[in-house]
Amino acid sequence: METVEEKKLIVTKIKEGTVIDRIPPGKALKVLHVLGINDNYPYTVALAMRVKSKKMQLKDIVKIKGKMLTSEESQKLSLIAPNAVVNIINDYKVEKKIVLEIPEQVSEIIKCLNPNCVTNNREPVFPSFSVISKEPLILQCKYCDRLLEGQNLSEQL
Amino acid sequence: MKFTKFIFSTLNLSREYLESIFSLASKIEQNPENYLNKCNGKILAILFFEPSTRTMLSFESAMLRLGGSILGFASGKTSSSAKGETIADTLRMINGYADIAVIRHYLEGVGEIAKKYSSIPVISGGTGTQAHPTQAMLDLYTIKKAFGKIDGLKIALMGDLKYGRTIPSLLYGLAKYDDVTLYLISPKELKIRSHVRQRLNGFNLKFYEIDDISQIIDELDVLYVTRIQKERFPDQLDYERLKSSYKISPETLNNVKDSFILLHPLPRVDEITPEVDSLPCAKYFEQAKNGVFVRMALILNLLGVE
Ligand SMILES: Nc1ncnc2c1ncn2[C@@H]1O[C@H](COP(=O)(O)OP(=O)(O)O)[C@@H](O)[C@H]1O
Ligand SMILES: [Mg+2]
Ligand SMILES: [Zn+2]
Repeated sequence: METVEEKKLIVTKIKEGTVIDRIPPGKALKVLHVLGINDNYPYTVALAMRVKSKKMQLKDIVKIKGKMLTSEESQKLSLIAPNAVVNIINDYKVEKKIVLEIPEQVSEIIKCLNPNCVTNNREPVFPSFSVISKEPLILQCKYCDRLLEGQNLSEQL
Repeated sequence: MKFTKFIFSTLNLSREYLESIFSLASKIEQNPENYLNKCNGKILAILFFEPSTRTMLSFESAMLRLGGSILGFASGKTSSSAKGETIADTLRMINGYADIAVIRHYLEGVGEIAKKYSSIPVISGGTGTQAHPTQAMLDLYTIKKAFGKIDGLKIALMGDLKYGRTIPSLLYGLAKYDDVTLYLISPKELKIRSHVRQRLNGFNLKFYEIDDISQIIDELDVLYVTRIQKERFPDQLDYERLKSSYKISPETLNNVKDSFILLHPLPRVDEITPEVDSLPCAKYFEQAKNGVFVRMALILNLLGVE
C-alpha cells in the first residue's frame, strides 16, 4: 500500500478554523459526521486519510475553515478519536492546541439504551456515564448500571 | 452506629454497615418488646408502583412493630403516576406527608432521583431488575444466623440470574465478605448481566458460572434458589426442558452437608417441591420472617433512632 507523507500534502492555509490532527487512521469521516459537516458546509474542508505522520505512523487529518468546536463536539470527538490534537487556527497561526483525552465521565451527549432507565422516562435527570474502560471503550450508565459498548455505542457517536 | 439516608444498592454498603444492621436486627429479634415505641409519631410511606406481597407487608409489619404508622399505595395504577406524575414529583410531595419512604418501581435508577429530590430517607423495595437491597440484606442475615459467619462459605445461586432483581444485590453483599466461593447456576439465557460480572471481577471473590448443580451440591453450605419465569423464554419448549433441571426435590438433596441450608426469596412456584419443606435444611419461611427484623433495623437506622 502506498501512502503519502504529510510534508508532501499540499493544502491551502486557512485563516480561521480548526485542524484536527493525529486522528486514528480511517476515522476522519466519522469526525466530520460528529461535527455535522456535510455536503452543504459552505467553507473549505480538507481531509486526508492514512497519511504518514512524522513518527511514520498512519493518521488522518481534517482541516475545517470557519469552524470552532463546541464542548459537546469535543467530548464526542474524544470518544472516537482519543489522542487526536485539535489546533485552533487564528490569523493563519496555531493559536491553541488541545490534546483530546477520553474523559472519566460522559454526560448528556449519549443516551442510555435501557428503555426502563429513569433517564428515558420523563424524569428530571440527564444521561450520565462513567468510563469504565478506555480500550475498548465501555461506558456504564450512572443510573441503571447498564453497559454501553461496541456497536451500540459507536452508533451514537 | 453509622447512619445512612438512602438504601438503593448494596454495592456502596460496607461490611461494617451490614454487620451493624445485622446485630441490631438480632437484638430486635431477641427482645422485640424493647422496640415497641421507638417510632411513635413517625410515618412510613409505602410507594409501590409494582405489586408485592412479602416486601410490602414486611415493611408495614416492621413499622407497626416499632410503634409507627404507615400510609401509601400498592400499585402504580391507583396513584397519580397513572396520570403522568414523575417519580421526582411524587417524592417531593411525599416529603411533606411522611418521615421515611420505601419505593418499589419498575424503572431503574430511581435511587439517583431519590438522592436528588427527597429530603427524607428512602429505601428501595425493589428497583426494576437492578436491585433489591433489603431482600439481599435479609438473605445475608439468614445465612449469618445459620452459620455464625459468612466468610469462607460455599454458596450457590440458582435460577434466573439475569432478571432476578435480588441477584446483583446479594452478590455485591456477599462480595464484602472474605473467601466466599460462589457458584452461579443458570441456563445460558439467564446468566448474570455483563455489568454485574464486570463488577464481580473487581472484587476479591471466586465465582464460577455453571449450568448444572449436581457436581457441586454436596460441597455447598448454602443453595439460594430463584424462580425461572415462563415469560423469559421465547420458546416454551426450552422453558419446559429447563424447568425440570432447575427443580429441587428431596432426591436432589440426598448427600448435602449436615449444616447445609436451602433459601428462596419466595414466592416459590415449582422450583422447590413441597416435600422439601419439612427437611431441616429448608429455611425459606424463616428467611421471610427475618425480613421484618432486618427492615425494623433499617428503619431505625435511617431515622437515626438509637
Ligand atoms: N493556517 C493553517 N491552515 C491549515 N493547516 C494548518 C495551519 N496552521 C497549522 N496547520 C496544520 O495544523 C497541524 C498542527 O500544526 P503544527 O502545530 O505546526 O504541527 P504539529 O502539531 O505537527 O507540531 C499541522 O497538521 C499543520 O499542517
Ligand atoms: Mg504535524
Ligand atoms: Zn441507564
